[in-house]
Amino acid sequence: MTDDKVAGLPAANAFFLALPSLVVFVLMGFTPLVLIATWSFWSFDPDTYWIKPVWSLTSYVALLQDGRASVLLRTAGLAGLTAAASTLLAVPAATVVGLLSGRRRAALLVALFTIPFFTSGLVRAFAWRLVLGREGIINNVLISLGVADTPVEWLLFSDFAVVLGMVAAYLPFAIIPIVLLFARIDQSVIRASQDLGAGFWMMFSTIVLPLIMPGIIAGFLFVFVVAVGTSMEIQLLGGAGASSTSIMINDVMRVVNFPLAFAIATVVVISLIALVIIANGMLKLSRLFEELGT
Amino acid sequence: MTLDSIVTGRTNGGRLLFTAIAALSLTIMYAPALYLLFASLNPDEQLRLVAPNRYSLTWYGALLDDHRLFGALKESVFIALATAVLATPIGLSAALAYRAMTRMRNIFLLILLSAVFVPGTIEGLGLSVMLRFARVSPSWVTVTMGHLLWTLPFAATVSLLGLSAVKPNTIEAARDLGASPMRAFVDVTLPLMRGSLISSFVFAFLLSLNEHARAYYLVGRQNTLPLHMFGAMNSGASPTIYAFSGAVIVVSFASVALIFFGVARQQRGDDGERRVRRRLESVVVLR
Repeated sequence: MTDDKVAGLPAANAFFLALPSLVVFVLMGFTPLVLIATWSFWSFDPDTYWIKPVWSLTSYVALLQDGRASVLLRTAGLAGLTAAASTLLAVPAATVVGLLSGRRRAALLVALFTIPFFTSGLVRAFAWRLVLGREGIINNVLISLGVADTPVEWLLFSDFAVVLGMVAAYLPFAIIPIVLLFARIDQSVIRASQDLGAGFWMMFSTIVLPLIMPGIIAGFLFVFVVAVGTSMEIQLLGGAGASSTSIMINDVMRVVNFPLAFAIATVVVISLIALVIIANGMLKLSRLFEELGT
Repeated sequence: MTLDSIVTGRTNGGRLLFTAIAALSLTIMYAPALYLLFASLNPDEQLRLVAPNRYSLTWYGALLDDHRLFGALKESVFIALATAVLATPIGLSAALAYRAMTRMRNIFLLILLSAVFVPGTIEGLGLSVMLRFARVSPSWVTVTMGHLLWTLPFAATVSLLGLSAVKPNTIEAARDLGASPMRAFVDVTLPLMRGSLISSFVFAFLLSLNEHARAYYLVGRQNTLPLHMFGAMNSGASPTIYAFSGAVIVVSFASVALIFFGVARQQRGDDGERRVRRRLESVVVLR
C-alpha cells in the first residue's frame, strides 16, 4: 500500500507525521528514564546536594536494606491482588456488554465504565474515606442492622481500603481490552453453538472464554502495571506507615538521596518493561488494537 | 445491523449473575463519589448524609474565600489548556502516521502506549532531574511537558478511533472528483473527524487537570490543583475540601458524559451521511 486511502495522505509522509510524537516520547519520556538508570550508578555528592560521576553500586546495596526490598514485593502483591479482583469483576461485566446487551445498552455501558477514568482519581479515592470511615455509611448501616456493636475499624486505613480504591479506579483498564475482543467474535459461532444445544455456561466456558482470554490477560496486566505505579490510594486510604515504591521514592527524595531514588525507579521501570515485553511476545498485545489500523 | 443482544434465550442464571456483577462494578465506581457529593450538601461540620430539606450550599459558599485554591485552579486550567492544545494536533499527527505505516506500526504503537504504563512518580522525577541538569527551572512549562507525555497516548488513540470511522470510499470519491490528497484531507477527513478531535481535546484537558503524580516533581512555586487538594485532604480536611471535591465531580462527570453522548449522537448515521455529502459537494464547488 503506497497510499493511505483513508487519510488521503501518501505513505512517504509517515515519518514526518510521526516526528512530533516521537520527539515528545524520546525527549521527555525515554531520555529521562535512561538518565535515571545511568545516574543510579553515580554517587551522592554532599557538597552540592546533587550527584557526582563516581561509579558505585551503593544505591543497589541500600535497596536491599531497611526493608526496602519488602516494600517492592508488597507493592507487587497489592497490585496483583488488585489486578485479580479487577479481572474477576471485569470478565462478567465485559460479557454483559459484549454478549448480553443490545447495541444501545452496550454503548451506554461502555461509556459508563469509561467516564470515571477521566474524572479526578484523587477525589474518587478521597470519597472512600467518607464511605468506609468510623462515621461512614457502611459502619452506620452495620451498626443500625445490629451486625456490629462498634464501628468496624479495618474498613479504612487498611490494605482492604487500598485494594478496593484501586479496583474502583482501574477497573476500566481490565474491562476495555475484553470488550475490544468481544467486538471481534464472530456472532455466528455463538449462534451455532446454541443451535447445537449448548447451554449458556457450556457456550461461555468452551467458546467465549478462550476467545476473550488474550483480553483478560491484557486487562490483568494493565491493572497490575498501573497499580504498581500509583501512590494516591495508599497515601489516602492505607494504614499508618503503609508504603509503596512510589511513596518510598518520595521519601528518599525528601532526604535528597538522588542515587537511591534513581535505583528504586530503575528497578521498577525495568521490571515493568520486562513484564510488558514478555506479555507482548506471548499474546501479541498490539493486535488488540489492530482494527484501529486498516 | 441488529439492535438485539447476541444471546437472547435462557442462560441458567448466567444473565442474572453477570448483570449483578456488572452492577456491583458500576456501584463501586460511582457510589463513593455520589455519596461525597450529597454529604457535601450537609451544612454541619460532621460530614454525613442529611435529610434533603436540610441541604445547603454553605461549604460551597465558603469556597469563594479560598484564594490559594483559586490560584491552584487557575494554574491547573492554564496547564490543562496548554496540554490539550499541544496533545490534540500531535495525537492526530501520530494517528495519521500509524495509518500510513506498514512494517513499523506495531513498534510505533508500543512506543505511543508505553507512556501510560510508566509510573507517574518515576516519569515526573526523571523529567525533573533532566530539566534540572539542563538548567530549566520548574514552572508551568515543565508541568505541561509532563502532562503532554501522559495525555498524548490517549489523544492519539481517540484520533485513531475517529480516523477508522471515516469510510475509505468517501476519500476516494473526493479524489475522483479531482481533489488533491491534501484537499481531500482538509476538506473531507478533517471535518468528519470533528467529533474525535473535540473528544481528544477534552480528554487531554481533563487528564491533565486531574493529574497528580507527575506534577509533584515538576511544579514551580505555584501548586497545581490536585497537589493543593491532596495537601488539604491530608491535613484535617475542612468541609470546604468536600465542597470543592463535589464541584470537581459534577464538572468532570458532566463534561465527559457530554462528550460521550455527543459522539454517540453523531455516529448514529443519518446525520453523518448528510455531512459526507456536503463535504463532497464543497470539494466540487471549490475545485
